Amino acid sequence: MIVTKSWLQEWIDLSGISTEDLAKTLNTIGLEVEAISSYDVPKKIIFGRVVECEKHPDADKLNVCKVDIGSSIRQIVCGASNVREGIDVVVATIGAVMPGGMEIKPVQLRGVDSEGMICSAKEIGLSDCQDGIMEIDSSIGKYKLGDEVSSNPVFSDDIIEIELTANRGDCLSIRGVARDLSAAYDRPLKEKTITDKDDKRVGIGRILTLTHENDLNVNLRYKAVDLKNLTLPFVIKLRLAQIEDKRDTDIDAIMLYATHSSGVILRAYNYDFFREGDDALAKISLSEDKNGYASIMSKEKASTIGIIQEDISRITYNEGTILIEASYIPPEIISRKMLDCKIESGPMYYRTSRGSEPELNQGLNFCLDMIGGNSESAIFGGNIELCDNCEDKVITITKKEIDDIIGAVITKVKITKLLKNLGFDMRKSSADNFVITVPRFRHDISHKQDIVEEIVRLIGIDNIPSKAFVFEEDNRLGSDYEAYKKRSDYRHKAVYSGFFESIHFVFDEKKTLEKYGFETIGEDLDVLNPIVKTLDTLRPTLLTGLLKAASNNSKNGYTSIKLFEVGSLFSPLREESVKMSFLFSGDREKESLSNSGKPTKVDFAYFAQKISDVIGEFELSELTTAHKLSHIYQSAKVIINGESVGEMFRVHPSVEDDYDLDVTYMCELDFEKLPYGLKVASKTSKYQASFKDLSLIMPQSMSYESVKNVITSANVDNLVRFYAVDKYVDESLAENMSLSIRFVLQSDTKTLEEEDITSAMETILESLKGELGIGLR
Amino acid sequence: MNKWYDEIKEAQSVDTLEEIRLAVFGKKGVLAQEFAKMKTAPNEEKSKIAQELNTHKSSLMNEFTARKITLQTLELQEAMKAEDIDVSMFSTTSQSGALHPVMETMDRIVEYFSSMNFAVKTGSMIEDDFHNFEALNLPKYHPARDMQDTFYFKDEMLLRTHTSPVQIRTMMNNKPPIRMIAPGAVFRRDYDITHTPMFHQIEGLLVDEMGKVSFANLKFILEDFLKYMFGDVDVRFRPSFFPFTEPSAEVDISCVFCSGKGCRVCSKTGWLEVLGCGIVDPNVFEAVKYEDVSGYAFGLGVERFAMLIHQIGDLRSLFEGDIKLLEQFQ
Repeated sequence: MIVTKSWLQEWIDLSGISTEDLAKTLNTIGLEVEAISSYDVPKKIIFGRVVECEKHPDADKLNVCKVDIGSSIRQIVCGASNVREGIDVVVATIGAVMPGGMEIKPVQLRGVDSEGMICSAKEIGLSDCQDGIMEIDSSIGKYKLGDEVSSNPVFSDDIIEIELTANRGDCLSIRGVARDLSAAYDRPLKEKTITDKDDKRVGIGRILTLTHENDLNVNLRYKAVDLKNLTLPFVIKLRLAQIEDKRDTDIDAIMLYATHSSGVILRAYNYDFFREGDDALAKISLSEDKNGYASIMSKEKASTIGIIQEDISRITYNEGTILIEASYIPPEIISRKMLDCKIESGPMYYRTSRGSEPELNQGLNFCLDMIGGNSESAIFGGNIELCDNCEDKVITITKKEIDDIIGAVITKVKITKLLKNLGFDMRKSSADNFVITVPRFRHDISHKQDIVEEIVRLIGIDNIPSKAFVFEEDNRLGSDYEAYKKRSDYRHKAVYSGFFESIHFVFDEKKTLEKYGFETIGEDLDVLNPIVKTLDTLRPTLLTGLLKAASNNSKNGYTSIKLFEVGSLFSPLREESVKMSFLFSGDREKESLSNSGKPTKVDFAYFAQKISDVIGEFELSELTTAHKLSHIYQSAKVIINGESVGEMFRVHPSVEDDYDLDVTYMCELDFEKLPYGLKVASKTSKYQASFKDLSLIMPQSMSYESVKNVITSANVDNLVRFYAVDKYVDESLAENMSLSIRFVLQSDTKTLEEEDITSAMETILESLKGELGIGLR
Repeated sequence: MNKWYDEIKEAQSVDTLEEIRLAVFGKKGVLAQEFAKMKTAPNEEKSKIAQELNTHKSSLMNEFTARKITLQTLELQEAMKAEDIDVSMFSTTSQSGALHPVMETMDRIVEYFSSMNFAVKTGSMIEDDFHNFEALNLPKYHPARDMQDTFYFKDEMLLRTHTSPVQIRTMMNNKPPIRMIAPGAVFRRDYDITHTPMFHQIEGLLVDEMGKVSFANLKFILEDFLKYMFGDVDVRFRPSFFPFTEPSAEVDISCVFCSGKGCRVCSKTGWLEVLGCGIVDPNVFEAVKYEDVSGYAFGLGVERFAMLIHQIGDLRSLFEGDIKLLEQFQ
């Protein structure tokens, strides 16, 4: 909503109030000021009158004008097509510095002297409101030839852009904003005095009838005018340019201006559109159109109430009879209708769906005054109207209720005054109760708390003292908090382990996901209105997001990329779950003196170690992943406490190529399944542990897992743990390899002796020989 | 005998000194020889010679020990000098990772409200119309729905546009009093310089007996919270409109970039909008079947907080796992 200070002045006296103060007040009362711009017309630009205008002897498009600038007559050459004798104009005189920086000097144009410039709106920094030069008239207020333009309030105006909240349809007009300001400043709203131009003795009833079907909740009021010699006042042209709107015809421009001024929805109709043949009586009928919208009909539809006027019913002539309609439809009715059956809407719907001004006379009279004052038109007597009898909303609230919600004591006198200034009727109030009748233009008020809001915004929230809330103690550390804490702890561990936390959209591209073998959300459950094609479904994995991020970082020159994300993803049935995923690409660390500038690349063992630093101890077993991102010979299932919690793998070399990545490892874990909670310490032996290595010769194709299983199931006494420490392959071993396993033996009751250790090793070797047929080197 | 004093004093290495030690104190050393001569000396002189020799012995030993310490110290210094490195070459940067600034900001906010005895509640990102809109006084035809362009699914479910559905579900599953925050990702169909289709919110809700919770209480906690997050800033409340609160307000802080003087970031206003809040609308309580209660609610965008606190210029870079950005938070 755009307002200007001079425009507001027509409805409320703002004298003594600076624009800065005005903006502050608007913000305080909940009309958020989005931007302020000022017109700043330079000095030495003055009003003048063209007293002579002749063609330039040597240039077709130029005119040589004599311009009266009050103190003298100046000769000025002007190229505008609308310059002519008798019009008042804006003249930049010698010495004026234009907004673009150009200084006006005496010049010769094709051999003719020119002492100044007749200006267009744009040339002096105003909104572009008229083709050619500005034609000034008395609509800007009183002025004398020779007066500085900057001294006129219309030309030295401040334009304020207000970002209205959706509930304040009543402020979608200059008068509406002025009404709120009148309550804030406690200054009266200036109501327009209407000049009676009903001088034509013919009443409107002689030329127009209105019929309607059932009750469509619409208020309508019509006036008829015999239009003659209408000229659009300059101030309307300028202000419509200021609100960045315009209309093709002068009469439509006046309707728009009157609507923006008063908030009433106004339309002008071609009178003949409603006539059949030579019948003197025009017939308007209000009925539902094929979609059920309240519409104005004749042979064809003329308009849809509150939404749009059909071109066919618009006025195309400058002289003759026209009909002017003011309409009102309650916002909830029009917006509910729009929900049932959406049709093309326009700026009109923006107003009506938020609530236009129901006081139709305000707009109708304003607009007739504009027409009457700027033409030789005659207005038909009386009007034709259709009134919907809607009951006033009444709200009862006690002073205590008001004070409780605000948390401060507001005096009864103050409350009464504030609400009265806003147009609320308080006459039925009693000693204990405020009985408040809500004005019809306040569509947003229906509850007690709405009344409190009015009070709060007018006394200013900053004037309410803050007060701590007193409450009963309660333990609020529930399971959601625990889940949050778990997430936070794991994230911190990942960071200490060298990974950067990243977040990605939960959206992903279906095509890419399918290419890599991920099962995506079923067609009938998928996103209906994706924002871009590359984000057209919900992600079933965090892996693709991490790969894309790694790829970007690689392009940015990073050679060691470590990322993780904890985030939600979605199954084909659209069930949400949380996973924690890691990516490690390229060098183990940054280049430095400690690695002589040649850091080693990440490998499976190193990556597994890094993941273990984050999630603790785990086992790995061979896995064929369901997706195609993994290197098929380097994929593992991650097992914690016997349960599979996710997968770990090297990225398939061709996927590394797709993303321009060096050797890359990834891991995706089911976050729910990761262990969390307090650890319990187990009893430790006070006797020394013994270490023993065995080097086994076994086929290269044999998995360590089978060896592990045999040793575990042998139930060897005092065996605490064992792990592979070295793997060796050479030609002499042919298809075999040598694998060294370290065994840790420890007893709770004694220091183990050599024979205990030997016997344990023998048990292990016997089992391996018996079950796998392998033995020592 | 006296020359040995000079020999010891002038010895230049521990090795030379060792040679001298053998020459003086060894089995065939000077002292041994002198003591041997004593056997042939007349008896009456023996004690005098012995006394003299013992004096020399202990003096030479003192000299020797002192010289040895000096030389050892010097040699250690030499050895250390040989190990000289240019420490300035080892200035280094962290090899650790970093928390994401948005998540870290969220952690700080959760920490504040947890310590103020608010429970943390979370919920599903996929919601239905009732919990995301209807129950929050946003009927289908309400113009305010335009403010929140929504992602829908083909079966009429939707991606939550705020974390308010968590509040609705918490109220429906628990009796008052309620004191909670709901942190999490939310979604709006908007993608440009200042909007991403996914961002993070934290919303708070407090519900207690009718007449107990006031706007003044809301003001108190938000002023305190904003000073905790941003330091010593001015806080201003502007009346505004949200369908689920009444009265509603938007909360501004004085611009953290220009201290309220007016700059590009605050559009020359000196203020930055950071929060929305208000007294819970009675229609919301009606939807969750609460009677005779009062409450306040507030909501904020975590990305905006993170960007203001850490002076991050580009919103979209936050969702790209961009190490250029992230490594600044090591």
